[in-house]
Amino acid sequence: MSATVNKALLGITPIALFIALWQSLISFGYAPVTLLPPPGAVFLRLGQQLFTSDFLHEIAATLFRLFAGFAIAVVLGVVIGLAAAISPAINAVVKPVVRVLAPIPKVALYPALLLILGFDHASKITLVAADALFPILLSTYYGASMVEQKLIWSAMAAGTPRAQILFKVVLPAAMPSILTGCRIGLVISCIVVFLAEMITSTDGLGHMLVQAARTFQTVDMFVPLITISMLGLILNSLLHGLRTYLLRGFPEV
Amino acid sequence: MKVVTLRSDALAESEPLSGKPASAMIHIDRVSQRFQTSGRQSHLALSDISLTIDDGAFVSILGPSGCGKSTLLYIVGGFVSPSDGVARVKGKAITGPGPDRGPVFQEFALFPWKNVLGNVMYGLRQQGVKHSEAEAKSRKLLEMVGLKGYENFYPKELSGGMKQRVAIARTLAYNPAVLLMDEPFGALDAHTRTRLQNDLLNIWERDRKTVLFVTHSVEEAVFLSDKVVVMTRSPGRIKVVVDIDLPRPRKRAELLLDARYQKYVVDIEKLIDDTGEDEIHA
Ligand SMILES: Nc1ncnc2c1ncn2[C@@H]1O[C@H](COP(=O)(O)OP(=O)(O)OP(=O)(O)O)[C@@H](O)[C@H]1O
Ligand SMILES: [Mg+2]
Repeated sequence: MSATVNKALLGITPIALFIALWQSLISFGYAPVTLLPPPGAVFLRLGQQLFTSDFLHEIAATLFRLFAGFAIAVVLGVVIGLAAAISPAINAVVKPVVRVLAPIPKVALYPALLLILGFDHASKITLVAADALFPILLSTYYGASMVEQKLIWSAMAAGTPRAQILFKVVLPAAMPSILTGCRIGLVISCIVVFLAEMITSTDGLGHMLVQAARTFQTVDMFVPLITISMLGLILNSLLHGLRTYLLRGFPEV
Repeated sequence: MKVVTLRSDALAESEPLSGKPASAMIHIDRVSQRFQTSGRQSHLALSDISLTIDDGAFVSILGPSGCGKSTLLYIVGGFVSPSDGVARVKGKAITGPGPDRGPVFQEFALFPWKNVLGNVMYGLRQQGVKHSEAEAKSRKLLEMVGLKGYENFYPKELSGGMKQRVAIARTLAYNPAVLLMDEPFGALDAHTRTRLQNDLLNIWERDRKTVLFVTHSVEEAVFLSDKVVVMTRSPGRIKVVVDIDLPRPRKRAELLLDARYQKYVVDIEKLIDDTGEDEIHA
């Protein structure tokens, strides 16, 4: 009980320090209030806006893109990663493709995506999926490649047909790596959806920020920024909860 | 358990175990195993192994590290196919793993995503046994291996000895005719090891499965086995097969004082030490 309280306090401490630093930058005159609004003003504005339908619409647009892109990345990453791990033929095809595509900054493809898919959801979802895909794919691949041979043998001796080993042994055994990849993919999704909305969009949190910046509304500029980081925090802890549940039998990771 | 003296006398006299006519359960016929190693070289791990194991026999394999004991066990398990020769179980050539041969590994190899009950139920469910029935059977087995009350624990929450009990129960669950045990007690402390040896022996005395048991401990091999196969350093060959002619059921306390037991241990230890010609005859 007190251990969880301590843990929560430890988690809050850096955030509190960050806000304190932010406030002191202003208080001690290092940053003019016109450029860097005080945290109090930003949180006040956030509180005022939070339950207005306009703001909720922006959040919904961003969240939809984030979830859709992330979900596509998870499905593709896990499927391709598993396939490459169990089939040398598929691996021979996937490996060079991943080597070429993984290091490309996917944002560079965004103008092309806009032209092909338009300004609406599709282009942003695609960009999010493209960026989140690789960490998930790679960690799935490594996780599935390193499954202990004797787990597979034990299952086969117990009568599991070869074709079912993938779902009965490899997938659950690779789960710790897969979820680690998902966690990285989720953070990337948050970043990329915001970025895409900043570049070209008619709604979403990233769009809000750009709009505010163009009109030098510094307080309004910080509101979407704080919102996306809080969303990231919430999503990350949800995923952490899922991970703790799914990996309850695995040694601490 | 009650007919201790009667049974041990009978066994000491007659060679085939428990009166059953000895029929071959496992037949290893001129098996060799060559591994491709890094570079263009290859390594001969097993050379021309022939061995017949009777139904219901407890056979141990001893030999220096790297002599191919595990490899031989994996071949019988169907996990590895030999480069040469055939291994048969009940007369049928082994082409892959099957529920007639249940492995128990030194590393336990329990499924970390399943709890104790789930691990033990796994094989039964794979065999198409109904969930409720599989659960009832598995609970009984867990009780038998002394883990009643631990059904909902996860493997990581158990000690090494308990993990190996779960692994043994998981394998016994699908009732294999042959148990393939690769240093199953090698990772356990001496006390736990002794307890598990006794428990294994009790289980074996009851249902007389054929056991192929790899170990590094001569005492363990002599204590448990009907036959001890001693292998030579690489390439692994069978140096000698020693019949352990000690009465059953065996009691550890009695056996340790038994001069015949002590002689087996000493003789076999010499056989293993001895890399050159075998001048000792068991
Ligand atoms: N998959 C493999 N690829 C290449 N060489 C292998 C492979 N498996 C085993 N070997 C080699 O075969 C030989 C026998 O190995 P094995 O594991 O069967 O020995 P062992 O008698 O069980 O040893 P230990 O007592 O240390 O467990 C060793 O020299 C080992 O390096
Ligand atoms: Mg070995």
